[in-house]
Amino acid sequence: MRRALRSSLAVALGPAVFALWVFALAVLRPVRARADDYVTVRGAYYREPSTRVIQPTVEVERDSPTGWDVKAHYLVDAITSASVSAGTSTDSIFTEMRNEAALTVRKRWDRSEVSVGYKYSTESDYWSHAFGVSASQRFWGDTARVGVSAGFNLDTVGSRVRTPECAKPPSTTCSLDGVFGGLTYTQVLSPVALAQASAEASYLDGFQANLYRMVASYGYEKIPGKRLRNALAARAAYYFPRASLALRLQYRYYFDVSPGDLGAGDPWQIQSHMLEVRAYRPLTRDLSVRLSYRQYLQSKASFWCDVAVDPGCYVGARYYATDPKLGPVHTEYPEVELFWQAESLREVPVLGWLAAGTFQLSYGHYFQNTSFGNAHVLQAGYTLPY
Amino acid sequence: MSPTRERPRRAARRRLRALLAAGLLAALGGCAHRPPPIQPWQREHLAKRGMRFDMPGETEEDRFRQHWLGSREGSDLGYGEPGGGCGCN
Repeated sequence: MRRALRSSLAVALGPAVFALWVFALAVLRPVRARADDYVTVRGAYYREPSTRVIQPTVEVERDSPTGWDVKAHYLVDAITSASVSAGTSTDSIFTEMRNEAALTVRKRWDRSEVSVGYKYSTESDYWSHAFGVSASQRFWGDTARVGVSAGFNLDTVGSRVRTPECAKPPSTTCSLDGVFGGLTYTQVLSPVALAQASAEASYLDGFQANLYRMVASYGYEKIPGKRLRNALAARAAYYFPRASLALRLQYRYYFDVSPGDLGAGDPWQIQSHMLEVRAYRPLTRDLSVRLSYRQYLQSKASFWCDVAVDPGCYVGARYYATDPKLGPVHTEYPEVELFWQAESLREVPVLGWLAAGTFQLSYGHYFQNTSFGNAHVLQAGYTLPY
Repeated sequence: MSPTRERPRRAARRRLRALLAAGLLAALGGCAHRPPPIQPWQREHLAKRGMRFDMPGETEEDRFRQHWLGSREGSDLGYGEPGGGCGCN
């Protein structure tokens, strides 16, 4: 039944997504400027030794005076990869395109809001439909906000080179379904401080391995089909008026389990800790900088072992994988970003219309302890309020 | 099921219950202490870029970051939206 739903979604939602875009553009026609109406165009570039990703994106938000808001984005991922880095037995260089479109409609009231969203992503061997709904309520004189969100996704995984074992004939693809729920609480603590706490969980059921990656002597990797992913996070921001400096700190604790298998027999048991600090400071009237540093530590999945170090470690194992991200991972990511309010372009011929917007340019270096190797990350964007 | 396997499960369940109870108590404790109101004219700094968790421009940037982090780290999630559509299994 889900497979039928997936197929009919694929057929029906192509035109539907187009119709939603037309609707969005109609709603987005310029009527009255509001503070939160904006359009953002971005380009992102990710490069590591064996993989290159180029991602152009456009995002538009239109907030209507009636309280109905629409937000939409469209992006393309162009991924060039030498697949041996991900553990496949034979290397092959390929370029793949992924298209993603999303639409969110929000209704605002005085202190509450409800959003409904849909996201569709397609590439040559992976298709995803994600539906989400969220609601939030502000109280205590707008100093506190509680948000809840829930959603589900129906994904289809295929292979360009073979029919996977998980496919149920006559289909040649496998499915991955997920449900998601989250709770967020944000509190303004003082005129210069706020904090946020959140909890999220996602249950995945279906094919979660890679259809191309193999484990020497065992064949294509095999990964548990059920997974319960959980994350607890805390964020705080503090502003130092004398230094014109905003500091933001985030910590996230992640743990996953195999549902119904808590304890020693759990094949997952990945845990991770993420700590990130961001500092924002103006350099001149129009130019400001953001410095950030992120550190991530992850334990390996219970079933995972390093076959490169111990080739016989999977003997008699029920699951086996060479996916580097399921092993012990330690990454660091320092980044610098510049924001430029383009006000000084106002008197420049032809470019004057850009003056109301903000340009962003960032560079980060991603240090990884895995076989993927370190990466350069470059992003450039422009946001225009209208 | 063997008792040796059952024991860690019970312990894990006990720990989970204790964690949930502690979270609930902390939340209720928060309700008992209503924070002082922040007037509109005191919110100048809260509107600044670094003090907004939903700043336009930054959300798109974080989405891209989450996309590649999700394919390089084993613990996606925790950023306010479900996974899927990544194709980076």
